[in-house]
Amino acid sequence: MNEAILTVLFYSFAAFSVLLALAVVTSRRILRAAVYLMGVLVSSAALFLMLGAEFLAGVQILVYVGGIVVLLVFAVMLTRSVELLEDRPSMIRKLTGFLAAGSFFAVSVAVLSMTQFPVLRDGARPDSNVAAIGRKLLDYGPEGYVLPFEVISLLLLSAVIGGIVIARKTAVSRATGDVEIMTEIQ
Amino acid sequence: MNTWEVTTLAERSAEALSSSFWGAAGYLGLAMLGMAGFVAVLGMVLIYAERKVAGHFQCRLGPMRVGWHGTLQTVADTVKLLLKEDIVPYQADKMLHILAPLLMFIGTILVLLVLPFSPIVQVADVNIGVVYITAVSGFSVLGILLGGWSSNNKWSLIGAMRAGAQIISYEVSATLALLVVVLFSGSLQLSEIVRSQAEGWWIWRAHGVGIVAFLIFFIASTAEINRTPFDMPEGESELTAGFHTEYSGLRFAFFFLAEFINMFLVAALTSTLFLGGWMPFHIGGFENFNALMDLIPAGLWFTGKTAFLVFVLMWFRWSFPRLRVDQLMRLEWKILLPIGLVNLFVAAVVVLYGLYFFPVR
Repeated sequence: MNEAILTVLFYSFAAFSVLLALAVVTSRRILRAAVYLMGVLVSSAALFLMLGAEFLAGVQILVYVGGIVVLLVFAVMLTRSVELLEDRPSMIRKLTGFLAAGSFFAVSVAVLSMTQFPVLRDGARPDSNVAAIGRKLLDYGPEGYVLPFEVISLLLLSAVIGGIVIARKTAVSRATGDVEIMTEIQ
Repeated sequence: MNTWEVTTLAERSAEALSSSFWGAAGYLGLAMLGMAGFVAVLGMVLIYAERKVAGHFQCRLGPMRVGWHGTLQTVADTVKLLLKEDIVPYQADKMLHILAPLLMFIGTILVLLVLPFSPIVQVADVNIGVVYITAVSGFSVLGILLGGWSSNNKWSLIGAMRAGAQIISYEVSATLALLVVVLFSGSLQLSEIVRSQAEGWWIWRAHGVGIVAFLIFFIASTAEINRTPFDMPEGESELTAGFHTEYSGLRFAFFFLAEFINMFLVAALTSTLFLGGWMPFHIGGFENFNALMDLIPAGLWFTGKTAFLVFVLMWFRWSFPRLRVDQLMRLEWKILLPIGLVNLFVAAVVVLYGLYFFPVR
């Protein structure tokens, strides 16, 4: 009974995400494409959920839907209006697009079919993996992830500082003619 | 001493699934029906309360004509709203125009799903509760942005942009304040967070850290749901009605209802995280006093705290003037965020050394 329901759910989510992913690349309205993208991300979060990775599913929605898609929509809103449509792609662009997508598909299918995935037996999976993830992230032993975690934090920090530097207003000082950075953003 | 067993509808449904599929489906249907009824009635009650509170703050009576003390006024208004013509502006992106209010409403309903009303009234108790809430509230932002953009109207667009910028900014502070509670209780699960407050609520157990986190969370959440004094996204004196200028009839009702339910959600979440949720007022060690407090049912504690915070939100509305956009951004990035960061750090120290009152671990 459980098995059947899970199978039905899995295939519907999978079909849903494939269809929406196709819609993302074929839609000519860029904001609709963003909404379809949100659908793809939500259904992949649902797939994570079915694998028992609740935390990953939550973070997927938090980061991708709440962060990336919102920023995407925000950026599109600054540039376009409702009536504008994307140009129809030229033949060369279409061909190269199909070629790139097809070869990526071939490579990923080949890699996936060659990899052996260790399957967890029923019951081997911990009930709540949030605490386990937290411990792994703070573990500096051979199995821990504290170094990548800190490196990513540094990367994000530098990206934030870079963003501030770019967004800062610069003014030309009258006395020296040097470009000096205003400390206060008015 | 009470053990506070938590039973959720999802658990019961999972139990029923082992015997029959239809039992589980019945539970889920019941949950959906219950939610729909709850949302509709809550929306009407909140709108009535808002109008009455507003009236009395301004030395008026508020609605008085329809029903006893105007109690049927919102029912009449709702019926009127449902019968209105539904207009989609010419050259609007019709699909997104229709989708946007639904997205906003979905964001609201999904948060309602994990809210612990009482130990026995909760739909699902997911173990990533806090992450889940922050995650699904992203749908509301998208709803507002898409609604404003797809209307093909300048007021809507500006309102949506303001709303987006405001919500994204204030989400940072709200999350920082949330993390303080996660640190204190050591769990992301909402029922676990409530149960960790059995010896006392987090707002007063941690030497001021809890109070600061409470204030930051409450202010930032008020901004996130676009309520006065943070209601620039729909500032009617400058933007007609902001992102929902072009909405009418049922779809406007969705936006309107989501806004009021969001107000309830902010109050309910704040009371769950900082004021103990359904946990009665306890002082660690005072067994007799605690037993006396346990006589009041848990659901009533939750309702009382939430109703009080809803009243405070309405009180805000009639006490503070609207902020300007630059003041709003300065408040977030230069005042709330630094305080929130320092507060989180202090909270970590407090938790590390077990400095809070009545440590349990």
